[in-house]
Amino acid sequence: MAIDPNIVELINADIDGEISPEQKQELEAALAGNPAAQAMYTELSGLSSTLDELPDLDPPPHLKHAIMAAVPAAPPAARSDGHWIRSLFAAPALRYAGMFAAGALLTLSLVSSDQLSERAFTDVTGLVGTISSEVPDGPGIQITRIDRPEVAGRVSLRNSGPLLIVDFDLVSAGPVDIVASYSDQTVWFNGFAQLESPGASISAESGRVTMQIHGKRRYALFLRNASEREIAINLQFKSGDNVVYDTDVTYAQGADGG
Amino acid sequence: MNKPDDKELMERCVKGDRQAFETLLVRYEKPVYNAAYRMLHNADDARDVTQTVFLKVYENLDQYDPAHRFFSWVYRIALNESINWLKKSNRQQALDHDTADQGDGPEAMASDEQLGEGMEAALMRISSDYRAVIILKHVLGCSYIEISEVLDIPEKKVKSRLYTARQLLQERLTQQGLH
Repeated sequence: MAIDPNIVELINADIDGEISPEQKQELEAALAGNPAAQAMYTELSGLSSTLDELPDLDPPPHLKHAIMAAVPAAPPAARSDGHWIRSLFAAPALRYAGMFAAGALLTLSLVSSDQLSERAFTDVTGLVGTISSEVPDGPGIQITRIDRPEVAGRVSLRNSGPLLIVDFDLVSAGPVDIVASYSDQTVWFNGFAQLESPGASISAESGRVTMQIHGKRRYALFLRNASEREIAINLQFKSGDNVVYDTDVTYAQGADGG
Repeated sequence: MNKPDDKELMERCVKGDRQAFETLLVRYEKPVYNAAYRMLHNADDARDVTQTVFLKVYENLDQYDPAHRFFSWVYRIALNESINWLKKSNRQQALDHDTADQGDGPEAMASDEQLGEGMEAALMRISSDYRAVIILKHVLGCSYIEISEVLDIPEKKVKSRLYTARQLLQERLTQQGLH
C-alpha cells in the first residue's frame, strides 16, 4: 500500500533533523497505526545512519602546501595576466601528464661538476620526454613514495640502456635538500632536467648529487651506469640539518625499462 | 580571541592576504576533499579536484558575492568540478558497470563494514545530481536551506531530490544483496 506523501516527507524531515515539534507529534501519530510507514522509517533511518558513518578521510598531508605553492603571490586584481589559472586547471600541480603533453615549458640544464670534463656524455635531450608523463608502476621501475610533513610525493628509478633516470615528483613545505649518493665510481652524473619551474639549485661531485626543492617540483636526474651493474643510490632528504627521510633505491641488472 | 569568520577572511583575501587564504584553505580543505572523494571514489582524483577548487577560488576572489556564504560557494565549485572531472574522464559509465551485480544475493547478511563498502559502491551507481545532494547532507552536514543555497534550487526540490536519492540507494543496495 502506498504511503501518504505527507508521511514520507515527515519521515525524511525527522531523519534529517529538520522536523518541528508539531510535525514530530504528527509523525508519531501517523506511524502508530501504519506498519508500512514504520517499516519505511526503520529502513530510511538505517540507510541514513550508514551514510552518516562513512569514514571521514584526511586529505594528503602535502596537499595544502601544493595548493599554496601553486597560488601566485599577487591577488587576482593585481595581476595583468589572467591566464595563469587556465593552465593550472588543465593540469593540477600534482598531476603533470596533460600539461607536459601539451608542451609546457621545460628546461634541461647540465651543471658544473668535477665529473663533467673527462667523461663522455650521453645526450639526454631525447630522454627529456621520458619525464613528460607520470611514471607508471611496472616492471623495471622502482617507485618510492614519501609522505612526510616536510616533503611528500614519489621518486622513481628506471633505466634507459646505460642511463639511470631518477625521477623526483615532490612537493615540500619549505626548502629541502635532496642528496643522492652512490659509491660505485664507474657511475657518473650525466645530466639533470626539470619541468615547469625555473631556477633549480643543483651541484654534483664525485659520487654525490645535491638538489634543492621548495614547493612542487619535478626533477629528473640522469646517471650514466656504463657497466650496467647493480647500483644502490642513497637518497637523503634534509630540512635544514635534519634528515627527514632516508631511503635507498636500487637498480637491478636485467630490469631494463628502456 | 575569536577566530575570524569566513567573510572577514574573504575580505582580507581580496586585498591580497595570502595568510587569510591559507586559513580558509585549512578550514575547508578536508570537507572539500571528502566531498570530491565521495563524488569520484578515487583519492588521486579527489586530491586534484581539491587543488583545482582552491585555485579556482583564489582566481575568482574578486568575483565572490558577499551576499552568499563562503562555504556554499566553495562547495558548489567542488561539486561542479567533480562532475566536470567525471565527464572528462567518462568514468560514470565505467563505474556503473564495474559495481553492478557484485552482491551475494539478497539473503546475505551484511556486516557494518560490508554495508559501508556497499554504500560507497551504491553511491557511485546513482547519478551525480543525486549523489551531490546526499554528499551535501550526509558528508558535509548541510541543512535543507544550505543545500538549497549550494545547488541553487528551491528547498522543496532539495527534499524531493534527497528522498529520491535515498530510494535509489536502497535499490542499489538491494541489487548488491546488502539490504
